Amino acid sequence: MELKVIENATCTFCGCVCDDIELHADDMRIHQAKRACILGKSWFLNHTAEKKYPEALIDGQPASLDDAIQVAANYLYDADMPLVYGMSNTTCEAQKECVAMADLLGALLDSHTSL
Amino acid sequence: MQKSKFLPRGRKDRTVVMVDIRETKSAKAADHFLQVRPGKDFELLTIMRAMIKDQEISEAEVAATGVSMEVLRDLIDQMKKAKFGVMFFGMGLSMTRGKHMNAAALLTFAAEMNAFTKFVAMPMRGHGNVTGADVIMRWQTGYPFGISLNRGYPRYNPGEFSTVDVLVRGDTDCAFIIGADPGATMPKPAIDHLAKVPTIVLDPHVTHTSRLSRVHITTAPAGIAAPGTGYRMDEVPMPLKPALNSPYPSDEEVVRRIKEAIAEKPDWMTNQPQMIESQV
Ligand code: SF4
Repeated sequence: MELKVIENATCTFCGCVCDDIELHADDMRIHQAKRACILGKSWFLNHTAEKKYPEALIDGQPASLDDAIQVAANYLYDADMPLVYGMSNTTCEAQKECVAMADLLGALLDSHTSL
Repeated sequence: MQKSKFLPRGRKDRTVVMVDIRETKSAKAADHFLQVRPGKDFELLTIMRAMIKDQEISEAEVAATGVSMEVLRDLIDQMKKAKFGVMFFGMGLSMTRGKHMNAAALLTFAAEMNAFTKFVAMPMRGHGNVTGADVIMRWQTGYPFGISLNRGYPRYNPGEFSTVDVLVRGDTDCAFIIGADPGATMPKPAIDHLAKVPTIVLDPHVTHTSRLSRVHITTAPAGIAAPGTGYRMDEVPMPLKPALNSPYPSDEEVVRRIKEAIAEKPDWMTNQPQMIESQV
């Protein structure tokens, strides 16, 4: 297994978004996160590329991604007042898709900021 | 701490004033600590707004906030002398008595301070890319959060369209949750409502919210296995550099696919108008 070093990686665990982290990783996990604080270290080291969970769950039962996407779309479409919420631990690109989806649905749209 | 052209001595050139209802660890790291009486944030902010404009305030009104007149005068003096001030605020302000009005009072205070010197206000962020969510929503809808699109155009009203209020009142009949775990953080009546309606969760882990949801989709963790952009608290965008390849799809891809599946259905505006026709 090859060890890669990623310079100036970005930590997204807290609002500081430090962008000077040096990551040492192989295919499966990150072994070292230099210059990250305690929170950042555990954030990087706790995530692996393992397949720990089923790709999707419907009513608590493992399901395929395609089915889950279809069921989700049906629930959202059938609702009179759907809510799109969260968007903190994700990328701006995904947030943009969320806004577009909320627009299509005529939904409520809100983030952690309102807390 | 950073040394700069204008602050060559780093931390020594900076003054930190902590305002809280109790003396926390952060208070020890600060230069001054003001202990305000719980629930008196709005009063304190309003008094300070009056004081910067030399309006008259009675001793009794000041005393009710738990801070003395002398301390306040001294603080305002220092604030006016500062070259660049920042008011950081957190959930202690917006989640206690007064809620959004407290935050509004602080923002007005920061704006008014600009008559004397440069001042800004900045919310303290917890997790990751909340700032990005604000920026993206502002860019796309004109408002930062608490938005309703159910008339086909964006409307903004925190308190009415903010999630906790919507859930506690039981207004929504389907919830889509991404990059958040309200099942672990929200008040119980809100969680109960999430469990009652169909909830859809996108998360790298099976979370508390996933357990009470109808649909959970596992996605790649942003910044670790999914690329993209994240905003720093001061609204500087940062590219993410994922170190791992995830077996799961990214949030972006899953949301786009759900959106596309919805787009294939007939448009709701023309087919399921949300209005009582007899009243139109
Ligand atoms: S390294 Fe620490 S301070 Fe920096 S973003 Fe990560 S959690 Fe925050």
